[in-house]
Amino acid sequence: MKLRLEDVGVLRKHRALLEHVSLTLEPGQLLALVGPNGAGKTTLLRAALGLTRLSHGSVWLGDANVSALTAKQRAARVAWLPQHSNAAEELSALDVVMAARFRFDEPSAQSESEAKKALVRVGVGDVAPRALATLSGGERQRVALAGLLAQAAPLLLVDEPGNHLDPAQQVDVYRLLGELWQQGSSVVCVTHDVNLLRHLGNPGEVRVAGVAQGKLRFECRFTAPELPDKLGELFGMTMHSLMLGGHRVLLPERSP
Amino acid sequence: MKARAALFVVVSLLLAALSLWIGPSFAGETRDFVLFELRLPRLLVGALVGATLSIAGAAFQAVFNNALATPSTVGTTAGATLGALLALALDVGGGMLGVSLLTAAAFGGALVTTLLVSGLAASGRLSKNDVLLAGIAVTLAASALASGVQFASDARALVAAAQWSLGQLPQVGYHGVFLLAPFAGVTLVGLLALGRPLQNLALGEDLAQAQGVNVTRLRFSVLLVASLGVAACVAWCGPIAFVGLIVPNVVRLLVGPKLRSLLPLSFIGGAAFLVLCDGIARVVLKGRELPVGVITAALGAPSLVFLVSRAKRE
Repeated sequence: MKLRLEDVGVLRKHRALLEHVSLTLEPGQLLALVGPNGAGKTTLLRAALGLTRLSHGSVWLGDANVSALTAKQRAARVAWLPQHSNAAEELSALDVVMAARFRFDEPSAQSESEAKKALVRVGVGDVAPRALATLSGGERQRVALAGLLAQAAPLLLVDEPGNHLDPAQQVDVYRLLGELWQQGSSVVCVTHDVNLLRHLGNPGEVRVAGVAQGKLRFECRFTAPELPDKLGELFGMTMHSLMLGGHRVLLPERSP
Repeated sequence: MKARAALFVVVSLLLAALSLWIGPSFAGETRDFVLFELRLPRLLVGALVGATLSIAGAAFQAVFNNALATPSTVGTTAGATLGALLALALDVGGGMLGVSLLTAAAFGGALVTTLLVSGLAASGRLSKNDVLLAGIAVTLAASALASGVQFASDARALVAAAQWSLGQLPQVGYHGVFLLAPFAGVTLVGLLALGRPLQNLALGEDLAQAQGVNVTRLRFSVLLVASLGVAACVAWCGPIAFVGLIVPNVVRLLVGPKLRSLLPLSFIGGAAFLVLCDGIARVVLKGRELPVGVITAALGAPSLVFLVSRAKRE
């Protein structure tokens, strides 16, 4: 699914959350959005989902303006993994994933079997009957990912999928996202930690876009030589590059 | 969970059926008359009212994402009361047509206050408590208006209003059952049909929207369908509090939050609960009846406290 933002602006209480943002994601591409807190990354995802009223510009999913789609049509094109879950704690993992099948007109037995498949696919098939409240942070994030999968949309918007996870879980989550991408999904991934992106696989194809103060500041390949400097400028830090086992690792340090 | 649900249904139906025999027993023709002409229609009315108030409570709790949201706490009952009192003051009560006018007035009041509250609560970012605050504000305003209406009414309307506002199941015979059944039916079928998108709402409003739920339209549909049933109940029986709060919360503690079981079990449990309360209300004082609302509060409040404290310990 092709995603296109054309000169998008979002205003909230006279403050610009996004200004003149234009970008295009071709089918099968992966774009990482990086930037400081409050830069507008989440707002950008919400704009792409049609959850935020635009003050300017337009968002296109394939050949359709997102504001012209019904909720179900939109859900068939794009799925979202929000940064924070607001799900009721007593719901079971299975309930949560089944909800993601809403866009399909199918009997609930079918939703249930698809949801179970998705849970198995992300490695937590055994937690299906358990309440969210009893799950660990890693299990919860996998359940949320299973929901993303179960919605079966070609474009995935994921917001800080490694948030609050231990390093091993973070790597697992990025590997899983990488698999979905290799299998043909288009992905927009918001992250603070650029180093995690190498676990997506195929780093030469990963696009990185920097966002600060509601504006798109730069865009380049993950492997581009200029990335450390661009990121350093974006965060107001010095970004050191270290080579570790053939991979470039970035280490931020307060500028003198 | 399935066994628990089945047990809940069986116990509810048994209790409801047994309450037919609560009260003094008679023999012969008198017995048949008391059982089938007096108690059975009243039991059926009570079942319909309890079922409707409970399933509406369960739906309100889901749509506002708040366990304390009920027809009574978000202003629906207050609005229906105001509408009904206006109708009584203007003397449209009595007769088949009169009853439906009273229902229409109660429905109008219920819908206006419910939509007002959901509008107030939805403006700006929705906090869980906003809806209750808005509900209290609207309830107070509606009660003040209702007092004004009563102040301006004549003595006959005052007596009718006072009797009505106690919350009692009326001795209306089978035609009451036939009048109430369509409203309860529409509320039941409508809310069950909306159960799937309502379940998505439990994941958060934004995620539900992203998953394909038109949240604005869903809210409106749920409030409309639930208000319709609640208004009919209030028009018939006066405001009966607590049922819509207690029954869905008890059912949730027993079988979990999944709406596919929570909604229909609230309907059945609510029917049994109100019928049982009405049976008790018939016999607790010698020679006279207590308003059923007194019993629902006296039975419901402690059982809710018990269940909540037990759930906390687990």
